[in-house]
Amino acid sequence: MNQAEVSKLVSKLRMNIKPEHRRLKNLKGPEGRIDKLRKTVTGLIKFERIELNINRGDEARQYAERLISEAIRHGDCHKPTMDMANFWLLEKQLVHKLFKVLVPRFENSTVSYTKMIKAPKAQNTEHTNKIVLELRGNPYPDLIVKQPNNRLWIQNVLLDAAKYDYRQSKISEIAANIGKDTQLSSSSLTANNKGGTQKEES
Amino acid sequence: MAVTLRKSTELFTVAKWLTRRDCRTLSSLPEKAKLASLEVTEKAETSRRRPKKVNPLLENRHAYPEFLPDPNPKWRNSLREKLERADMLKRRNQIDIPEFYVGSILAVTIADPHSQGKTNRFVGICIERKGCGLRAEFTLRNVVDHQGVEVRYDLYDPTIHKIQVLRVEKRLDDKLFYLRDALPEYSTFSFDMDPEILPEGTPVPINPVKVELKPKPWLERWERQELQGISNIEQYLTKKDKVRRELRKTPWEKYDLMKQYRKTIPIEEQTDIWSEVNSQLQQLQLARKKSTRKRTFSAPKTQLG
Repeated sequence: MNQAEVSKLVSKLRMNIKPEHRRLKNLKGPEGRIDKLRKTVTGLIKFERIELNINRGDEARQYAERLISEAIRHGDCHKPTMDMANFWLLEKQLVHKLFKVLVPRFENSTVSYTKMIKAPKAQNTEHTNKIVLELRGNPYPDLIVKQPNNRLWIQNVLLDAAKYDYRQSKISEIAANIGKDTQLSSSSLTANNKGGTQKEES
Repeated sequence: MAVTLRKSTELFTVAKWLTRRDCRTLSSLPEKAKLASLEVTEKAETSRRRPKKVNPLLENRHAYPEFLPDPNPKWRNSLREKLERADMLKRRNQIDIPEFYVGSILAVTIADPHSQGKTNRFVGICIERKGCGLRAEFTLRNVVDHQGVEVRYDLYDPTIHKIQVLRVEKRLDDKLFYLRDALPEYSTFSFDMDPEILPEGTPVPINPVKVELKPKPWLERWERQELQGISNIEQYLTKKDKVRRELRKTPWEKYDLMKQYRKTIPIEEQTDIWSEVNSQLQQLQLARKKSTRKRTFSAPKTQLG
């Protein structure tokens, strides 16, 4: 049983954390692992959406979340946080982005700052599982479409067109039949008209 | 005009000096504390984005670290943690477990069936605090008859009769195992030491003493642990030791955000725990203050005859 460390306070991450970290196979050992993750975190902050292997992506996600939560907690006048941002973001302008763009974006959020989505596997390949890692509130179109019945989907557009064609053909058929009915019998005109309107409605 | 102004300012400074002197005689607080508070307010004004206020309940974590559960999620169990906390408070209602830190000097009286008065009292410096919940423990070290002695006590051991803090202070390091390899005078404390009472409201002082190590062989490679409290380590190191120390350094570890996260309990969980426990801890503190006041202002016994 270990005692919890009390010198530092951290805010809780809104995602599942595994009890142990992944090793991320590397010749340089733990230092190389951190270097790899630095590159990935920098890429994530820069491009806001990247595709990765699941191991590296999930590890980098945790570090990115922690970096953003530290930035939100302490602000840009806290020297250790600034130091941390300087270490994790390899490009200097991204430090400005972190404190001026991402902190205001995520300040009042109640969910995690990043999102991890499973990417489709290429067929007949033995690649590891791929994921797409993205910051929430990014400018790109959504990967997961929320509305299942979107009228603009190609299949829905085609179905609508087919329905319209069918209806038009029916209407023209009825219109062609109207003249014939009046010639046949004038007494049954009203009844036939009623039936025509019903057909049109249906 | 200028002369009068100067005079008035002089008078003002004199008055200020006098009043300040008066304040100092009244309170035992050092002047430094005032300066520190002023600096803090200035900093808050200059910063652009103000950091969020820290919950005052969270300050309990320094004095009562054993109330926080083990951060390893494999060993978490919310029900067991809650029950343990209740048991710890029950035990604290039975005996007074004072606030102490690594580096404080304690006297522990424990039931001992083999000793003459059925109790055994040991005085020593706390070199380690470890464990959480009911399994919290601390180790005391002293040198008795030129022989180093260390005793490990469970904090919530029912056989403990009394825990007395003789001197509350912190040291420069979190663990003082290097006292084992230091000169014996740094861990020698007399058993009839009188308790030193800190004036109320003062922060726990940090003792900046740096110990002198004995020459090698040592129990551990102290040079690799980045310890603050050792003064003369460089003189014993060979060239190879220094090279190895450089190779073994892990400068990236202080940036490892998830490593820190996995070692701590996050604020949200801590606030839940402290709000559950705080009221009872406050009551216990009040009771302790009352008892210490009684001790300090006890009336002299009337002598008959």
